[in-house]
Amino acid sequence: MTTLRTRWILFAGLAVVVIASYLITVHFRTTASPATQAAFDYLETLPESSVVVFSFDHEASSLPEIKPISLAMLRHAFQKNLKIVGLSLFAEGTAIGYSLLRKTAGEYGKVYGEDYIFLGFKPQYISAILGMGESIRRVFPQDYLGNVTDTFSIMRDVEDYNDIEMVISIADGDRTVQWIEYAGPRYNQKVMAGLTAAMITSYDPYLSSRQLYAVVGGLRGAAEYETLLGKRGGGNRGMLAQSSAHIYVIALVLIGNIIYFRNRKRRGRG
Amino acid sequence: MHVPSPLKCVFFLCVLLVLNGGSVVAADGLTDDSSWFKFDTLPTLIFSIVSLAIVLYAIWSVKSGKKFRIREIPGLKAVEEAVGRATEMGSAILYTPGWGGDIQRPTTIASMNILSTVAEKTAEYDCRLIYPTHDPVIMAVAQEVVREGCIKAGHPDRFRSEDIFYISSSQFGYAAAVDGIISRTKPASVFLLGTFEAESLILAETGNSIGAIQIAGTDSTIQLAFFIVACDYTLIGEELFAASGYLSQNESILASVKAQDILKILIALFVVLAMIWATVSPSSGWWAF
Amino acid sequence: MRTRIPLLVCLVSGIIMFAQYFSSHPIAKTVYNGILEWWQIIFAFTMFVGVAAFIRNSLKNMRRKGEAPYRVAALVGLTLMPLLALIGGTKFGSPFLWAFDNMIAPMQSTVFSLLAFFVVSASFRGFRARTIPATILLLTALIVLIGRIPIAELISESFPKLTFWIQSYPSMAARRAILIGIGLGSMTTALRVILGIERTYLRGE
Repeated sequence: MTTLRTRWILFAGLAVVVIASYLITVHFRTTASPATQAAFDYLETLPESSVVVFSFDHEASSLPEIKPISLAMLRHAFQKNLKIVGLSLFAEGTAIGYSLLRKTAGEYGKVYGEDYIFLGFKPQYISAILGMGESIRRVFPQDYLGNVTDTFSIMRDVEDYNDIEMVISIADGDRTVQWIEYAGPRYNQKVMAGLTAAMITSYDPYLSSRQLYAVVGGLRGAAEYETLLGKRGGGNRGMLAQSSAHIYVIALVLIGNIIYFRNRKRRGRG
Repeated sequence: MHVPSPLKCVFFLCVLLVLNGGSVVAADGLTDDSSWFKFDTLPTLIFSIVSLAIVLYAIWSVKSGKKFRIREIPGLKAVEEAVGRATEMGSAILYTPGWGGDIQRPTTIASMNILSTVAEKTAEYDCRLIYPTHDPVIMAVAQEVVREGCIKAGHPDRFRSEDIFYISSSQFGYAAAVDGIISRTKPASVFLLGTFEAESLILAETGNSIGAIQIAGTDSTIQLAFFIVACDYTLIGEELFAASGYLSQNESILASVKAQDILKILIALFVVLAMIWATVSPSSGWWAF
Repeated sequence: MRTRIPLLVCLVSGIIMFAQYFSSHPIAKTVYNGILEWWQIIFAFTMFVGVAAFIRNSLKNMRRKGEAPYRVAALVGLTLMPLLALIGGTKFGSPFLWAFDNMIAPMQSTVFSLLAFFVVSASFRGFRARTIPATILLLTALIVLIGRIPIAELISESFPKLTFWIQSYPSMAARRAILIGIGLGSMTTALRVILGIERTYLRGE
């Protein structure tokens, strides 16, 4: 049944549904899932000036989904006057991470080097994660802009994971697993994640075993976080498109089954 | 009620005596920052020693004449069929280890083991084997594995280094390139064996659309769901790691697979014990190390 | 000799990396940090190997029928980005970042979005109520699909709760079982490599 022509019809249908959804404005009520609520509550209750690491472990490809999550969490962190150390374990996440940090820091009047810093990209993620447990400055002797890391006031009291309250890995793949498996058991580092929807279920075992503290997952997670924060953004805007796409898939599955049973009945008669 | 594990206590004392040799031990059982042994890693050490002992025992029992066998794995049995189909159709075979892994990842090593068999068979039947990868080190190792496969098949001249190549370290750069190769060369068989992430369904569906026979396997539980829908055969999790024993019938490797089963039974028993204990005494948590 | 030395290197490295995990002694830390630094250096050099192989391979395959446009596009991309970075740097407002934001990011997002289209075709083909287990799978999938969107709350407040229950218990139990198998498989494979039983990756075996 799934000939090339059928595929094209299915694909075109999805494109029409998603594009049309972005042309209409509908506000949905999104109740926060326990995982999103846990992430929000954690940042909400952290004392001012606590240091959190934002690791932009994703590529440019997942930006439409990842950006609303990052923006919501960064805004929350700056709103609570937390200190942010940004970095990336993906080359492509570097420029994205820096621009998102700059954008949100600007909104809250935060100063580079005092309230936040971006350390840039480090290849070979396992050794970078493990190395940070010994000395963050040793792994990142310079920041993204080429300045010596030690010269910034934010880094004066940050030596290793003991000085980091939480690592927030914004990921579109399994890079967060490396944070959980290497920074977690060895250095007792707490980890939470912002993930693309496709990756959420693969993190469920870590979440239920508390190896992963909390997850903000996909556009839906971003919408939930935005609602908790009281600032609507890309997550809420995408909810209609996502809902429509889900309904489209459900309709196709039902149609596929009707065709299947009709054909089976015909074959039975034949 | 805190119930200490008997094993924990015994090992705590033994390792304290053997390794620490007088270094400072804090009251909570954790050593100071510069001791030879970190006591919070004790459960890991115990499990590692038990695992190693079981693996070594299994290998030793093979040496003393014991035989092990692995049940039939359809995905691995289909390797011959996949190579045969490509040969009959005069098309190539595409083999890729996915974007998620690097050479130190056990999944990549397991994938190399299957590649070795596939390379041997393709050389035997004079079938083209295309191997795109996202990692230069994997490329270098794969070239050696395929070269060796050709030598084993008695056809070293059939090794083509240019067919085993590095594309891009970028996930979707890699996915787009492999997709393009599948669409243009239309391989008769596609092997997707290794560590896959979001690119899994893109590659598997493209392979499906050209009607290729597809054998897939990965250690990512979420991508397994995609492979099961889009591929003809899927190696689920540990089947991928058992492949080298299954294909080579090497007794020592088969023994280590057996050891894996013994460990699995031990873990299952531990889970059942912890479950009963948690039901009887909900406040205790000695198993949650 | 050709295989014995690599096997010995593998064994010694394996033992060192295994042992250092359990120690916080300064000597263990120094060895460990040294290995991490070497690891980073080696990785950086392998990128040169990869790029060189890519260029060589692209030039070699240029003459193959229909390949030339793709190879040219790949080589132009490979040359252009480092050139832009060398000329204008990689900071805010640089041509490199412009190309990244306006060319690479949209192209990558386009390939990623293919996933949604393939999910549609795979669901259409795969979710058929052929047998009783397949019917259970189909019904579960429909519940989760509905439960993950805000509309579910309008239908019934139990929908998201049911979805959460399916994901947290039956689905998780199955995934955990597979994960334990994978973990044990990874461990025995690593042990086989360290002990020299698994040698496929070595030439001459």
